Amino acid sequence: MRKIIATAAVLSGAMLYAGGFRVSLQGVKQLAMAHTSAHAEDASVAFFNPAGISFIPSKLSVAAGGFGINTEVTYQNLATRESYFTDNPIGTPIYAAIAYKVTDNFSVGFSFATPFGSTVKWGENWGGSEIVQDIELKAFFFQPMVSVKLAPWVSLGGSFIYATGSVDWNRSVTQLGGNLNLKDDEASGKGFGLGFYFRPNEKLDVSVAYRSPVDMKADNGTATFDVSKEVYSTLGLDANGQDGFKATLPLSDEFTLGATYKVTPKWQVSADFNYHGWAAYYKLKLDFDHAVVGNQADDPTVSVVPKNFKNTRTFRLGTQYMFTDSFAGRLGYYYDESPYEKGDFSPETPSLDANVITAGIGYKWKGLGIDLSGAYNFQKSRTFENKFYNFNGQVKAKAYYFGLGLSYNAF
Amino acid sequence: MKKILISAFALALFGSTISCDTEFETDINDVAVTSGEADFSRYVSLGNSLTSGYRDNALYSDGQNESYPSMIAAQMQLAGGGSFKQPMMPNNVGGFVGLPGFPGKLTLQVVNGSLAPVASDPAAALDNISSGGPYQNLGVPGAKSFHLMAAGYGNPAGLSAGLANPYYVRFASSATSSVLGDALAQSPTFFSLWIGNNDVLSYATSGGTGTYQKGNTNPATYGSNDITDPGVYANVINGYVTALTANGAKGVIANIPNVTSIPFFTRVPYNAIPLSAAKAQALNTGLYQPLKAALTYLGAGERINPVKEGNNPVLIVDRELTNLSAQLTAVLTASGVPAAQAAYIGTAFGQARQATSDELILLTASGVLGIDAQTGQPATETSTFIYGASYPIGDHLSLTKNELANISEAVTAYNTTIKNIADAKGLAFVDANAKMVELSSASGIQWDGVKYTATFVTGGAFSLDGVHLTGRGYAIVANEFIKAINEKYKSTLPLVNPNKYSGVKFP
Repeated sequence: MRKIIATAAVLSGAMLYAGGFRVSLQGVKQLAMAHTSAHAEDASVAFFNPAGISFIPSKLSVAAGGFGINTEVTYQNLATRESYFTDNPIGTPIYAAIAYKVTDNFSVGFSFATPFGSTVKWGENWGGSEIVQDIELKAFFFQPMVSVKLAPWVSLGGSFIYATGSVDWNRSVTQLGGNLNLKDDEASGKGFGLGFYFRPNEKLDVSVAYRSPVDMKADNGTATFDVSKEVYSTLGLDANGQDGFKATLPLSDEFTLGATYKVTPKWQVSADFNYHGWAAYYKLKLDFDHAVVGNQADDPTVSVVPKNFKNTRTFRLGTQYMFTDSFAGRLGYYYDESPYEKGDFSPETPSLDANVITAGIGYKWKGLGIDLSGAYNFQKSRTFENKFYNFNGQVKAKAYYFGLGLSYNAF
Repeated sequence: MKKILISAFALALFGSTISCDTEFETDINDVAVTSGEADFSRYVSLGNSLTSGYRDNALYSDGQNESYPSMIAAQMQLAGGGSFKQPMMPNNVGGFVGLPGFPGKLTLQVVNGSLAPVASDPAAALDNISSGGPYQNLGVPGAKSFHLMAAGYGNPAGLSAGLANPYYVRFASSATSSVLGDALAQSPTFFSLWIGNNDVLSYATSGGTGTYQKGNTNPATYGSNDITDPGVYANVINGYVTALTANGAKGVIANIPNVTSIPFFTRVPYNAIPLSAAKAQALNTGLYQPLKAALTYLGAGERINPVKEGNNPVLIVDRELTNLSAQLTAVLTASGVPAAQAAYIGTAFGQARQATSDELILLTASGVLGIDAQTGQPATETSTFIYGASYPIGDHLSLTKNELANISEAVTAYNTTIKNIADAKGLAFVDANAKMVELSSASGIQWDGVKYTATFVTGGAFSLDGVHLTGRGYAIVANEFIKAINEKYKSTLPLVNPNKYSGVKFP
């Protein structure tokens, strides 16, 4: 027992995200078990599968939690012997959920979460500053949902997703000796979630869920050029060096198949498979209102950067052991794929194949639960040759996450 | 319980195995820079303006600090290279007060509402820093191939006669020294040699007004705008390399970019005369048609064709054409043009014709095109004779097909010589010509997301004089040298990052 806690404590020293800018941190308890999905113990299941709320063992359940993410990415260029590393602020994804059984067979719920984002701060003068100096991408998902028990052992749930988000992106404009800021605080998008949750017997939970892609549309972006005033008119900027832009950032869809099996009344194991539709992010198009800063021959106000993301998979394996009726220990491991090949490495969303070890503990007292979790992300260093930018080098990263979650099953 | 302990142990074990490939296979902090078969302890660079760090039509301290030899030397210092001293100018403007033809640097300024390069006054009189020598950067702006061995090229007494070069006068070890001698006196272990650009460039930038001295083996008889005989060129380069390698020194030699890849010659298109339909019609009626009729009568009707709406070719002077001034005046007079006007047109158009698409208009013409030939001011609605459109620009502002052929022939010959010598002497070889062609292509050269092209000002690689490079352009060159050195001598000098150097400065 003591050993396990010690192991867990060591492991919880560390955590990260891979897979583009999907941040898989929507449940503290779930993270401790590799962020697997088939856990209908409280309202935190709402994000993972709207159908899961039908199987929460109380009429009203609320859950909330937050994480700290600490990441550091190091870049080196063997040809020039340059080396830079990021100075990222601590990321803080949060979530909250509530679920209520209107009748035995009909539940409603609501989930708030921050499933996508990227905060990377490379510095003003690092090697890839023409691409990104620092960037902050945020997305907030608001999901009202309903779930219907089709039979005592199966439910069907659906959710509507309304997402808001922001982008704040700085980069160099080396040729003009200045910088460019791209900002939009009012991006938004819509989507939906759909899922089945099965409990064929008391030992087995199976969760099948699909979350649609969400196209975050930034229609009122502002591009601010910090360059010589004398080139404003040539570039098509206004008197403040600004111009408007439009862009769409696709947030990938996700298909999840998960299961939890109670090996003994105290011991359960969980496994998940996720399929992420990152191929939707094959290019990033910035459409400026007037500024002739694009790269398209037929329209110099349009900039298109190839992204060529590929669909990715995540494999998750987690376990929980109840040491007492109220105290749980949890462990997990997952493997998360980077969505792009070495020729498409994007320093604004640095992404590496990652092996992640997770752990956590939970304590239950009557309806109240408190959970702690942590994860360490062993990211595989990689060599890249971004052809579009002729930007070459190697990256390595370390990351760790920690989380604190609360849940309350009222009655 | 036991099972959990085992699985925790397994996970921890797994974690430690996967953690191995989280680190870089090769961390730059663990790898030493090596000199391979070369010895970089005493590196000297020989060359012309490009080697000195000249840019924006001047040599000034910021530019010198970003010369390509200084970049190479800094990388060599990571592998046993010695100190590298440059003959620094006393200021950051350049030029020499009291010496005609040596203005200060060009800067980008707002002129009549748009950005244009503006010359500045020279900042100081010619100084002398020879006591601070020896200098390892022996690049002398304006030097041609044969100048490097010219004794007295640094003698102040020779300045007025054009036998000496003020940039060498500044740091020559004596009144009788030569650039090559000053290099050899340092017993260099490694050298770079990039010379020969001016052997064609001064011909080219003067619009081909000099002579192609093919077969003339005595450079003392050459004018300053002449093209050096390829035989002379081969002899002097061979002599330099033989002398520099006599004690076993290794080195790198670069070839000569063809002029057609640099913005000084590509900025202004041959058809830089935009006309509206009405303007074109007026010009045809008032000038082109009578002129073509007269020239046709004289058997030279192909020199001028009517203009049309859109972009039209620039009127140039081609001194290889038969001078028809007198005949033209006579024919125009006979056809009813008032005598004074006929004489004016006859004089101006005696050797004039329209440029063709395979000819080049020089960057210097941009200050003349659109100027009223009679007032010298920007043309107005009442202007009759406008440079380029209705009055030919001077012979020194364009390169004709034949002049370009001379340049091309000489450059090809020089470059054959350089490649042969590099191969024969076992030197590292830099194909600077190929790099400039790559730079002048539409796709240019990308580095970490920054795209460099040979486009004037906005391309980022060429300085405001359209001939010399920016710090970033010189860094691209430095990398070609470094790659060639590493390949030849198995050294591991790191490349430089061009984006870290300065480009064109905006006001």
